[in-house]
Amino acid sequence: MNEIKLIDEHLFNTGSTEDRLLFDAMLILNPSLPEQVMWQKNAHAMVQQYSRRKLKAEIETIHQKLFNEVRHRTFQQKIMSFFSR
Amino acid sequence: MATEINFGRSAADREKGFIALYKKAFPAVAKYVSKMGGSFDDAKDIFQDALVIFYEKKVNQSGIVATNEQAYLVGIAKHLWSRKFEENCALTSLDKQFDISEEDELQPSSFKILHYLETAGQKCMELLKAFYYDNLPVNTIAELFGYSGIRSATVQKYKCMEKVRETIKEKSLAYEDFVE
Repeated sequence: MNEIKLIDEHLFNTGSTEDRLLFDAMLILNPSLPEQVMWQKNAHAMVQQYSRRKLKAEIETIHQKLFNEVRHRTFQQKIMSFFSR
Repeated sequence: MATEINFGRSAADREKGFIALYKKAFPAVAKYVSKMGGSFDDAKDIFQDALVIFYEKKVNQSGIVATNEQAYLVGIAKHLWSRKFEENCALTSLDKQFDISEEDELQPSSFKILHYLETAGQKCMELLKAFYYDNLPVNTIAELFGYSGIRSATVQKYKCMEKVRETIKEKSLAYEDFVE
């Protein structure tokens, strides 16, 4: 678990100077560490994709509300007037 | 009148923020897209992508420096429009900043892994989203996810990161075309 934290600090450049120096030394001494860094980078990319998909779905739900609910009718008419021609 | 948008801490807070942005900025975007010959669906697609970019900038530590956030959002949307529909549009440094299209470049195996994580690892993915994407404060996350405190929420974050990392590693060996 400590390794996960250290890799995060390495990826986000957040650790202290000593931590960073220590990590650089560990990268040389521990042959499996560079690979773990790569997998953790992949994990972060996956979290970002997951999150974007969730956010997009949330926004789509809001869009459907705005364009289907009667209480937003004035807004709907305003938008549609731009495309009625 | 320009007001600052606050996405708060929960999905309900975000909804309020997005509705406010829709009401304030979508008319200008729709008008612009219609003037440029685009359809309602074009305006919708462009605006939704702009909202994602706006959100990511807003919750990022560096934040948004624009004094008028609505104008900033409309600006992103117009930029996305020109990039998408105008031929010979020279790529600018802005494009890199506003790039949310990596999804299109994901390998099929990445989609499989993502799909697996969406179903089998949803709880962890939600927690990691709150930490790394929504950038919520740890005490807020502890409260939202029902942890006793900052420490146990943080421990869980690293456990989840490890779990996701190991899942990706394991699945990648099964789906060979996985590349970074």
